[in-house]
Amino acid sequence: MKVTYIINGKKQEFDISPGEILLDLLRDNGYMEVKGDCYEGTCGACTVLINNVPYASCTTLAAGVDEAEITTVKGLGDINNPHPVQQAFAKFGAVQCGYCTPGEILSAYALLLKDPDPGEEDIKRALDGNLCRCSGYMQQIEAVKIAAKMMREAGDNGRV
Amino acid sequence: MKEFDYFRPSSLDECLKLLDQMRGRARILAGGTDLLVRLKHDMIREDNIVDIGRLDELHGVHVDGGDVHIAPLTTHNEIVESGLCDEVPVLKKACAQVGSPQIRNRGTIGGNVVNASPAGDTIPALSVHGAHVKLKSIDGERTIPIEELFTGPGRTAMRDNEILVDIVVPTIANGEIGFFKKLGQRNAMAISIVNIAVILSMNRSSKIIERAAVAVGSAAPTVIRCIEVENLMAGSRIDSAERLWEIAMKIRDRVSPISDVRASARYRAEMSANLFYEGMLELGVI
Repeated sequence: MKVTYIINGKKQEFDISPGEILLDLLRDNGYMEVKGDCYEGTCGACTVLINNVPYASCTTLAAGVDEAEITTVKGLGDINNPHPVQQAFAKFGAVQCGYCTPGEILSAYALLLKDPDPGEEDIKRALDGNLCRCSGYMQQIEAVKIAAKMMREAGDNGRV
Repeated sequence: MKEFDYFRPSSLDECLKLLDQMRGRARILAGGTDLLVRLKHDMIREDNIVDIGRLDELHGVHVDGGDVHIAPLTTHNEIVESGLCDEVPVLKKACAQVGSPQIRNRGTIGGNVVNASPAGDTIPALSVHGAHVKLKSIDGERTIPIEELFTGPGRTAMRDNEILVDIVVPTIANGEIGFFKKLGQRNAMAISIVNIAVILSMNRSSKIIERAAVAVGSAAPTVIRCIEVENLMAGSRIDSAERLWEIAMKIRDRVSPISDVRASARYRAEMSANLFYEGMLELGVI
């Protein structure tokens, strides 16, 4: 069956089997920034935004989100033009091995779209679904606070 | 994962016809946060998947009379963020503790209910709120109390052509207070080791409890109501911590949990009493 998505602003069409999982489809088609780990919706590494809401792509049927707008971490910005959330994560050492980072950045970005000035509890809650097993969690919280400030000062949502 | 045929009906009528034709040979997919994991690990194998995710008529919250109607495709986060669901606060608290943000964004209350997991977080909350579920098939519809939906772990009284179409939750009455508590192995993304929901109608000044509802999850094959404890509390005042603990012990004796990878039966039973005790103290019943 055929599905169409807008991925990072570009229209893409795929021919899929009904049982195809979104995570597998994305990685098989070159979106290697979407990471797979637990494959049962408990670690958050595979987080993507579907219409700006964080989903675990490993427990999302590709067919079920036909026509959706999908954002991966590369949709926010790249090394030449990083998004404020990406800049803040780099600056605050919120990245160690980097495996959980794409998911964390997307969860943080989705929070800031809804709430430009979140409190610490809001940030913790928004990142609750993203496990990090090396750098810890404090740096991420600081990074999100600074990213929020950068985005407020820039006067838009920082979306590329 | 076994290959399956995929159907995405565009209306509830079409869906009901499809379910009637397939008669038990179809599995309904809503958010998929649980179903896809089980399909993937071949814990279940299905020939036909009916994806109801796009049926807008099964989505959303509205208030009618004294009831909040929650359509089954409403996600946990939508309930948490819904102002209308302020009238069903214990359910709201339970929804806020399901899984993780990613799961709450995708997982639906209908899925949590019909999965009939003994550990389903919304189920004890719905029970103490006095919720009913409306089931529909091509033959007609029926509404039953939520407790009657469950016949065992993962098993429901739904007929093989029926679908859940509405969850009817009476709004909390003036003066009623309650809590939902869950014990998991960690805060986020944990399946309940045990969970408990309580609603009390209590006179604020005399602290006499007029009516009580207590439901425990993950401590028996299905959600259980602690009727003996409810009756014990009704019409009385809990005047000391010792008395509260005595009542909590009756909850411990009422539950019949299993031992599994998450916890032993004895620990679950002890913790059901502890969660009750802690929640009641926080409500200020003494």
